[in-house]
Amino acid sequence: MTVSQGDAVTSSPRYDYEPVLEGRDVSVHYGGVKAVEGMTFGLRPGVISGILGPNGSGKTTLLGGITRMVNLTRGSIFFLGQDYTNVPARDVIRLGMGRTYQTVRLLPDRTVRENIFLATDVILKKDPDRAAAQVERAIELTDVKNVEIFRPGELSYGVQRRVEIARALASDPKLLLLDEPTAGMNRSERASVATLLSELRSEGLTQLLVEHDVQMMVDTCDYLYAMNFGSMIAEGSPEDVVRNPDVQEAYLGKHGRRDA
Amino acid sequence: MTQWFAMNSVLIDQTLTAFLLALSIQIPLRLGVISFAGIGYFAIGGYGTGILVLQQGWNDVAAIIVSTIAAAIVATLLGFIIAHLNGLYLGMATVSFSLLFSAIAINGGSLTGGAVGLYGLIGPIETWHVALVTVLIVGLVVFSERGRISRKIDAAKEDPQLASALGINVIFMRRLSFPISGALGGLAGAFAISLKSTIHPESINFSLVILALTIIIIGGQASWVGALFGSLFFVWLPEALEFVGDFEAIVYGIVVVIAAVYLPGGVVVVYKDWKHRRQVNKFVAQAPDAPPPAELAGVSSASKDGTS
Repeated sequence: MTVSQGDAVTSSPRYDYEPVLEGRDVSVHYGGVKAVEGMTFGLRPGVISGILGPNGSGKTTLLGGITRMVNLTRGSIFFLGQDYTNVPARDVIRLGMGRTYQTVRLLPDRTVRENIFLATDVILKKDPDRAAAQVERAIELTDVKNVEIFRPGELSYGVQRRVEIARALASDPKLLLLDEPTAGMNRSERASVATLLSELRSEGLTQLLVEHDVQMMVDTCDYLYAMNFGSMIAEGSPEDVVRNPDVQEAYLGKHGRRDA
Repeated sequence: MTQWFAMNSVLIDQTLTAFLLALSIQIPLRLGVISFAGIGYFAIGGYGTGILVLQQGWNDVAAIIVSTIAAAIVATLLGFIIAHLNGLYLGMATVSFSLLFSAIAINGGSLTGGAVGLYGLIGPIETWHVALVTVLIVGLVVFSERGRISRKIDAAKEDPQLASALGINVIFMRRLSFPISGALGGLAGAFAISLKSTIHPESINFSLVILALTIIIIGGQASWVGALFGSLFFVWLPEALEFVGDFEAIVYGIVVVIAAVYLPGGVVVVYKDWKHRRQVNKFVAQAPDAPPPAELAGVSSASKDGTS
């Protein structure tokens, strides 16, 4: 079994900083399929880290493991030094993690504002003022004030994705996890999301970005992990990772360069 | 007016009990739990009250309370047993659960009165008692349809995984819907026998499942208003259709089909959508910072196909 909750570890000797999120030997297997295998990482506070990898490389499964939506087959995960490998999925938001999804997952019959409010549910009863303030701030940061009375289906795809980010921010997370936040967006929408992420970084918010678009990752991230077939094939500065031969092969090898 | 009440008291009674039964099925449905166990709870409440009063000599009120609680307890146990089922499988399991009571009623010998059922329960319960209790229940249901709780319920139904990631205890909410459903169904049955003075196997058979289902199709899943509307519709429509004679069932069927096709979500959703559209249109027309058309649906992003 994994490390139990009592064994809180403050900082691992591997890092010269205290990682916001740390994964040790994180593995998720589905039967014989090793969707994620032996991923070890520690996110530096206040920066944008990225997990880069072609489609099907296990990025989203890893994110599922990090947010406890899927159980780890092996390994352990720590948030601010606390082992939460066995914490139920519904408590992850209380730890201080907010996330978006690969596809838009908003309640169709609720307004944008109500959808965003949903992320404050865990504090709404105890501290309604704080919840309201967080919602306002999330709406302001993501610039969705003028659509708050609309329902998601009435908005363009790009705006829906921004609403998703707003919802993730409304819980006032210490770590923001973004699963392909710009997928399917046009160029100006992408640019505005990239700007938003930099703004959040300048406010000290730690972010983990999952993406298959190499250019987006190089432009946005401070540190990259590259995955292929569920395992880590490289990590380091974006420039180094992109130049890494294994990464180039993962991307160029069979399919040719599919980003740009 | 009083004359009208006297003339239609049977229909009013039926409306009230059908409404409670519809709520019993609607509340789990709002959480995405397709359960027809309400009919079974109705049987427990009805037969329970009948047996306790007629055969054990209990006070009517005590019998109603105890059989309602019994239905809630059975519902809780059922919830644990079938908790892992979903969708149609859950629906089928609960239909079987309900039909089980039909079989028990028919074969229960002197306890259930067999095919004849239990009759002669003439107690102190009158229509206005039932109406009062119903209003109190509606008060509680209204509370669950507003603000925070209703958002949580919606999230748990629409996207349980997302709801859970947002800190909502979906499993607990689903489990909780069982005793609530049980109590409502049990109460409906207990009131039904108290008002009609009789209960028999035919009053808890499959046709009751159809009634409850059609009430919810017409009225919608989302709100108690829908359940009330559906109950009024189905109790009073056959009455209103009496003049068509033998064609009554056909007209009734056609109305249901039209409603299912043209009112997906029921009348309440139609009203809510209309209200929302009006609000949005007003905003777009007036607000200086109304969103540009590019941010609205219909004007799509450059490459929606780019999603992986």
